[in-house]
Amino acid sequence: MNHQKLVSAGKLAMKPERTGISSMAPDNDQKQAEQPDSQTDLQLVRKVRNGERAAFDLLVVKYQSRVASIISRYVYDSQEVMDLTQETFIKAYRAIDRFRGDSAFYTWLYRIAVNTAKNHLESRNRRPQGSADSAEAENFDDGRRLRDIASPESLLQRDQLQVELSNAIAGLPEELRSAFLLREYDGLSYEDIARILECPIGTVRSRIFRARDAVDRHLGPLLNHSVT
Amino acid sequence: MDDRLRETLSAMMDDEADELSVRRLLSHEDQAGIRAQWQRWQGIHDLMHRGQSPADGVDVSMAVRAELDGCARSQAPDKSPVHEVSRRWQWPAVAMVAVALVVGFGAGAGWESGEVSPDALASAPVAELPGAEAVSSVVAGEDAPVQEVALQGLDDEQWEYMSRYLLEHAQHNSVGAGQGSMGYARLVSANGGY
Repeated sequence: MNHQKLVSAGKLAMKPERTGISSMAPDNDQKQAEQPDSQTDLQLVRKVRNGERAAFDLLVVKYQSRVASIISRYVYDSQEVMDLTQETFIKAYRAIDRFRGDSAFYTWLYRIAVNTAKNHLESRNRRPQGSADSAEAENFDDGRRLRDIASPESLLQRDQLQVELSNAIAGLPEELRSAFLLREYDGLSYEDIARILECPIGTVRSRIFRARDAVDRHLGPLLNHSVT
Repeated sequence: MDDRLRETLSAMMDDEADELSVRRLLSHEDQAGIRAQWQRWQGIHDLMHRGQSPADGVDVSMAVRAELDGCARSQAPDKSPVHEVSRRWQWPAVAMVAVALVVGFGAGAGWESGEVSPDALASAPVAELPGAEAVSSVVAGEDAPVQEVALQGLDDEQWEYMSRYLLEHAQHNSVGAGQGSMGYARLVSANGGY
């Protein structure tokens, strides 16, 4: 799902001339929204180094599906994918003091995941079934392989979630929806959104939070059912 | 978890949270609630951007946590030599700061009062003022005449006003910038070390 689909479905009553959303392109959206050099990641890494395990939990939750997607390019068995994903994070935790911050945390994690998968295959005398370079870390479609190995039940559930997601976004008050979509699909900073919407940054921050919260509440039962 | 913390968590999703807010969030007692909220929002984010849903069944966070809990003591994160060197200086630095604080308190609270000579006390005319004997005891070992000049001529009302002012000053400092120890030290130095 992307923002253009939502707009073309007539579910969003945006004011393009004011928000600038009409100029968005899906490819750019993806790249902009996935800024690799995450300030939050660096903050969390610093906390982990100071012994705050809770910070590492947040990094795991944030990146587990992406790491699993990387590994699923090498290993097709879903249980093996899960095991290697877990192993990747444990290796990352133990080596976190060696992360120097030269690259984004995700790129560093990506390399660990690739090496973990390759080592796993070599230990079983199997050639790697796929290849991945760390330079691809920010760009490849990490959802595709996971979708390929998803069960029919989970596919159905995902479709249902996507429908509900678009309903939830369409049901947001306009000021919340504008801020939320400018952030999520255009990847704009709060400062830029404040300039576009002509309101204080604190208001943008609050609107995005309230939008996210409303979408969460709308999807609540479905998400709770999915998230184990 | 209140809305303020949840708003911080939302800002973290967008790389817009400041260091202090992140610290406050991570020190909150309801880490399970924070994790659950973070996970749901990440699920929504994945669904919006990658068409990937939590229904795809990738959740190793609990397993990772359990694994790390199991061997947290024996296999903490590796320590590089650079960090070891920097941490070698941490404890001495903390000790130095602690000693400086203790000495500061000591100077303010009149630990030297036991060493005050009876002659010094006797020569201080401010002894007639309410609470003045304590003031004298504090400054006797240093420069008593300066203190005498500072507090000479205060009547009861003025002394009460001064005490109230010092108390408010100390309270303001302790609530405000975290420098309450200095305010308190000043107060006890004037009031007589209680």
